[in-house]
Amino acid sequence: MSEENPNYLELITRGIWKENPVAYQVLGICSALAVTVKMSTAIVMGIALTVVTAFSSLIISSMRKRIPSNIRIIVELAVISSLVIVTDQVLKAFFYDISKQLSIFVGLIITNCIVLGRAEAFALANKPFDSFFDGIGNGLGYSLVLITVAFIRELLGSGKFFGFNIIPQFIYDAGYQNMGLMVLAPGAFFIIGLLVWLKNSLPGISKEER
Amino acid sequence: MSEKAFDKNSKKNVILFALLTSVICSVLITVAAGGLKSLQQANMELDKKVNILKAANLIGQKKPAKDQINKLYDTHIKEVTVDSQGNITDTYEPGSLHLYFIQDNDSSNAGTDANAQIRGYILPINTRGLWGKIQGYLAFENDGQTVSGFSVFSHSETPGLGGEIESNWFQTNFKGKKILNFRNEFVSVGIAKGKVKNMPKNLQDHYVDGISGATLTGKYLSAGIKQTLKKYDAVSITFRQKNLRALKNGQEQGIQQ
Repeated sequence: MSEENPNYLELITRGIWKENPVAYQVLGICSALAVTVKMSTAIVMGIALTVVTAFSSLIISSMRKRIPSNIRIIVELAVISSLVIVTDQVLKAFFYDISKQLSIFVGLIITNCIVLGRAEAFALANKPFDSFFDGIGNGLGYSLVLITVAFIRELLGSGKFFGFNIIPQFIYDAGYQNMGLMVLAPGAFFIIGLLVWLKNSLPGISKEER
Repeated sequence: MSEKAFDKNSKKNVILFALLTSVICSVLITVAAGGLKSLQQANMELDKKVNILKAANLIGQKKPAKDQINKLYDTHIKEVTVDSQGNITDTYEPGSLHLYFIQDNDSSNAGTDANAQIRGYILPINTRGLWGKIQGYLAFENDGQTVSGFSVFSHSETPGLGGEIESNWFQTNFKGKKILNFRNEFVSVGIAKGKVKNMPKNLQDHYVDGISGATLTGKYLSAGIKQTLKKYDAVSITFRQKNLRALKNGQEQGIQQ
């Protein structure tokens, strides 16, 4: 197992690009609106979601032959929410500053449809390690969209990059103004919409194959 | 396979599985929450201290090491209880108020000298915000009317909008604002709608720049500050009188010399 398994690599890239959870599966839009005002929160949320999706997929997949099918969603939710709560507690104990910044978003991961979506669509039918890497891929794909949206919103909405002003004062003096729309949720809607359109119109990459 | 093969959808298995999952999950969460509680509380205590020190302008935006925070806190901050008339009491009764003094004393007599120079005082702010409680500290100079700092240690406002009350630019705005107008009447400090520089001149001393997109957070915070200030009015008045007396004494001494 020392060598990189091409199968795993493919699983990851599929989540990041080809079947990107936000742009292709259109999951997790809600949190993509909420946390993309600033780069820093977007990145932390991306990392948190990647970790949770990977491990919940791993756990659920390893139990997949035992989970009774009529209570499977409840079981999945129980696993996911326990994981998220434990993560939250650990963050509060060891990374207090980060957990303060994230505040409500850690709890929001539970309701993020990507986690449940991957558990339902992939983990229940695949081997544990495949599911683990599928989770990582999807988490990274989500992070990629989040970071792109946050970059545009932070730049246009408040003229900043990671909290530093990067638009020089003379441009403001010349009459430039920050776009208030970008700070609010509709700004994210527009950007995500445009991104989905852009990604799906790139030739040969994400045509519906089936 | 015989007919006794494992059937994951049998009633027995469903109930067993549900039970097992619940037990394992709850044990996991209990262990995590219980085991980490002391660490979390220590973090929260420290964070409180950091914010008190921030309001007192004893530390900047950069967070110093833990020992240093505790040392700064022990030498400069003293928690006191006052009764409704603004006199310091040792006993806590209903109606008495908590606040913190900012002291300037030598490290040699830290915490022991009751006559240590009091540089100002800090009031705890505890108010409703748009989505939940906002808890913070408002510091004053010892003249009883000039704000010297503001900090927030707990809130649940929208990040990027109301959440900006946590940010440095917003908090430093409070420095130097007055809670009394030029006729010495109480006016409190409030959060403006938009920029302070667009307001009438006579109001500029009592308002700080607002946060765009967070009008309601500003409104609630302004109301909360005003309410707290009214509650602690006696304390501020005591400070003002002391300050006046000190000024007078100073002048008389100046004449005599």
